[in-house]
Amino acid sequence: MSVDTTNTVPLIKMQGIIKEFPGVRALSNITFDVKKGEVHCLVGENGAGKSTLMKILSGAYTPTAGSIFINGKEYSALTPALSQELGIDIVYQENDLVPTMNAVENIFVGKEITKPGGFVDFKAMLTKVENLMEQYRIHIDPLQTIEKMSVADQQFVKILKALMKESKLLIMDEPTSMFNVEDAEKVLSLVRNISEKGISIIYISHFLKEVVQIADRITVIRDGSVIRTYDNSSKNVSINDITNDMVGRPVDMFYQKEPCNIGDIMFEVKDLKLTKESPSVSFSVRKGEILGVFGMVGSGRTEIMRAISGADRRYSGDFYLNGQKLNIKNPRDSIKAGIAHITEDRQRLGLTLNLSVLENILMVGLQNMKRSLFYDYKRMGADVEPIVKKLRIKTPSVMQQVLYLSGGNQQKVVLGKWLYANQSVYIFDEPTRGIDVGAKAEFYKQITELAHAGNCIIMVSSDMPELISMSDRVLVVRDGAIKCELTKEEINEQTIIKEALGVKEHE
Amino acid sequence: MNNSKKISLYKTKALLKDQRILLGLVIVLLIVVVGCINSKFVRLSNITAIFQQISVLGILTMAMAMLLISGGIDLSIGNMMVLSGVLVGTIITNGGSLSVAIIAGIAVSTVCGLVNGIIIAKSKCMPLIITLGTSQIFFGISLLIAGGSFINFQKKLDFMRTIQLFNFLPLMVIFMLIIVLIMYLLLNKTKFGRRIVAIGGNEKNAYLSGIKVDLYKIITYSISGAIVGLAGLIFAARLNAITANAGSGYELDALVAAVIGGVTFEGGRGTVLGAFLGCLLTGIISNALDILGVHAYIKIVITGLIIVTAVVLSNIENARKKQ
Repeated sequence: MSVDTTNTVPLIKMQGIIKEFPGVRALSNITFDVKKGEVHCLVGENGAGKSTLMKILSGAYTPTAGSIFINGKEYSALTPALSQELGIDIVYQENDLVPTMNAVENIFVGKEITKPGGFVDFKAMLTKVENLMEQYRIHIDPLQTIEKMSVADQQFVKILKALMKESKLLIMDEPTSMFNVEDAEKVLSLVRNISEKGISIIYISHFLKEVVQIADRITVIRDGSVIRTYDNSSKNVSINDITNDMVGRPVDMFYQKEPCNIGDIMFEVKDLKLTKESPSVSFSVRKGEILGVFGMVGSGRTEIMRAISGADRRYSGDFYLNGQKLNIKNPRDSIKAGIAHITEDRQRLGLTLNLSVLENILMVGLQNMKRSLFYDYKRMGADVEPIVKKLRIKTPSVMQQVLYLSGGNQQKVVLGKWLYANQSVYIFDEPTRGIDVGAKAEFYKQITELAHAGNCIIMVSSDMPELISMSDRVLVVRDGAIKCELTKEEINEQTIIKEALGVKEHE
Repeated sequence: MNNSKKISLYKTKALLKDQRILLGLVIVLLIVVVGCINSKFVRLSNITAIFQQISVLGILTMAMAMLLISGGIDLSIGNMMVLSGVLVGTIITNGGSLSVAIIAGIAVSTVCGLVNGIIIAKSKCMPLIITLGTSQIFFGISLLIAGGSFINFQKKLDFMRTIQLFNFLPLMVIFMLIIVLIMYLLLNKTKFGRRIVAIGGNEKNAYLSGIKVDLYKIITYSISGAIVGLAGLIFAARLNAITANAGSGYELDALVAAVIGGVTFEGGRGTVLGAFLGCLLTGIISNALDILGVHAYIKIVITGLIIVTAVVLSNIENARKKQ
């Protein structure tokens, strides 16, 4: 079914929406509509206001001003219950499942099928879930508890949950950001299936290629305002135009990295085995070198990095820095040895959200310094200020709680923490995941500078342009082992993806 | 058919890793060892005695387990139980009818639970602190009613002990077992129960799923209160007398029993059967130590050691995961 997007009455229209938080105007006068059966993509930098707008639709936030029309009826605000009653459902970016319950129960939370007497009819629910899974070709174990599932499977549970409610509008907030290529493709075809059944979709994504591939219309939001809405019915809107609208300036997809002088071998991993059965991993990084590491979700790349930084125990293996053997048993040892680990999950593992920018930056470095009984905030503020300036962390003051910063600025605080600690081996795990284009470029500049200064960099990344433009050498990890090593000249997208997926070349 | 098979296979798998199995084994082992040392321990009369001894704690543990699983806690249940008992006793000693007394007793604790629930749900304050406060209030009211002295029940509640099924199951034990069964069905099989588990596991998600979280919390605390009222009756029946300060400490015993049984403070986790086995284990240990003639002071030390050991053991997998 193809949808005529010009003549249908909008299913949902948001008019003049304003949302203010104490001290911040998150949305200023947004007007936005969605038609029946339409895939409407919403793009914009992090902090542009996409998520806030969606939270107003889902009833989690009350708008400061403006009105919402649903099927022509006007509402000044929605509650979660009302929003669901009207057929609006949101698949959140962050975890919104009950970790201790299985997939079936999660899908039916608040909508349980019951037998007489208020008893839950689990079998009926399971059958319904399995039918739905078959209909949309989703493969998960419906009886597994959420906490034991992969992130990708959890995402599918969330989508199933929404589909089960027979929603009229499905909001998907970065559904593919945690996925490998294969699963992301599944999500995209799922989105097509859903819209063909007449369900409207608001799709939020940073992956513009995906967006252009799938959207009927694309709306760009910047700083809480709608910049432009594109008609993408012929799927040919230029990605360059969208990025221009997003940041207000042209963006080169591939960052131009300045070449660094690469010196002798600096950091070495020898025969690292995570468990008794796992393959042995060895590699080395040179002074001034950026070593890219690529692998699909679940390939074991993050686990290898966690073992190096002492976050997880390892079965065997040694690490050498400048020829000296390191004795690393826990994160404290690795920090003392000069290793910095910028984890993939900044909110949970990289930051203490309720502490200030200052305290977060001091978290590691302060331990290495001479101890005194009391914090000297004034002196330390002066210490930290250059780092905040250098990284251009946007914060009203260094005393601001990290909680209130945008994703990109939070990630800069994580980097600032390690810069302050003055380490020499930097492990970046997905350094720019979920942060906007402008902040990405700044991050790349910082990483390059670190390499210039004679440190060595290990950078795990799923972002292909990032990996290719930044790396001096690339390792591809699959099934916990290094499957291939590519020199600067050999690096190209096809080779990397083929090695990572384990696709054999036939000719 | 296919589905039933799948469900049962899944359940079998999960069961093998289950804390309940471990607890069951410990209990059986304990019974065998102590029974070999002193055969009095495994006599039917002693088994009945054990169940009678844990009947109050068993019911309180159910209330506590339900609250913990729903993401809450109620540290006022000890004093709530006594307030209920004191009211029943006062009505009886003033010549009121037994049925009126019983209804009033259960009603007052239900209201206590309701009050806890409303304050916690609406103020969004920590239930731990709120209920520590209301606990003092309930204790104070008990003192106001009872003064510092004993209230005698004039053996009016003896039927709890004397009515016996098959000549060995007293009514109070039957009540406890019924509460365990009801709680099991409630939390595992009913819509209401699954929703409070969902609230305990992820409150934000429950709210966003359209569940009336506040209402459910209030109902949960009220149910807990009603159950505590029943425990109060049994408590009074066992002693035939009550004082205002008789109930302190029971809330912590119930908490410990539930935690030994695998219920956690995080909410959403834990089972009714586990909590009951936790309570049974503490009862058996206490009884066994008496039978073996262990000195009362040493008994306290040993009980403490066992609690710590049980909780550490049950948390070992968690600790490993966090490494």
